[in-house]
Amino acid sequence: MRLKYIGLLLLGLVVALLYFYINPSNVSYFPKCPLYATTGFYCPGCGSQRATHELLHLHALGVLRQNSLYILGLLILIYHLMVSLLNTVFHKNLYNYIYHPKTPWILLIIILVFWVFRNLPYYPFNLLAPQ
Amino acid sequence: MDQKLPKNYLAESILVTIFCCLPLGIVGIVFASQVNSKFAAGDYEGALASSKMAKSWMIWGLVAGGIVLITYIVFVFALGGLAIFGLSNY
Repeated sequence: MRLKYIGLLLLGLVVALLYFYINPSNVSYFPKCPLYATTGFYCPGCGSQRATHELLHLHALGVLRQNSLYILGLLILIYHLMVSLLNTVFHKNLYNYIYHPKTPWILLIIILVFWVFRNLPYYPFNLLAPQ
Repeated sequence: MDQKLPKNYLAESILVTIFCCLPLGIVGIVFASQVNSKFAAGDYEGALASSKMAKSWMIWGLVAGGIVLITYIVFVFALGGLAIFGLSNY
């Protein structure tokens, strides 16, 4: 079990170094989004590799330009991990808003609207497309 | 209510949707919402079933992303190898 976490940590470190030193916009050998490659439509995750590069260089504006939902997703993950950690390891009894009946619907609507808007070729919607 | 709320895999589904390339995570989010609403309505069995569906869609998203990534890496290495070794024969 501990070995699994060390392995995951090492993998994360290697991936982070890779995305720190290589800008996915400048090279062609990073994997492309399968949806974009086959249909030409951006998916809600398009631009996340470039956003990772920008994030590791602490360019908040660059992250937003590549994928505006990236920071929101990251915050949700951190929130979920923190609440779970506090509840299981420190035996706190905090309410996790991930389990609120409305939370998944709100997030679903945000993601679907974002998906449609970033594929519209008009200003200001085209700002949501990865640059 | 003494029954424990089943895991809804919402955070994992969002991870698949935004940080991976496949919209399969969106289906996971729909099932995550069912887990929450069914449990809130007292339907424990239904919430458990939705939890299982959310988990399998989330894992399908991860597996599909992994397959695409591995296929891509093999493809790039094959092309790169072809470009280097194929030309060196001349």
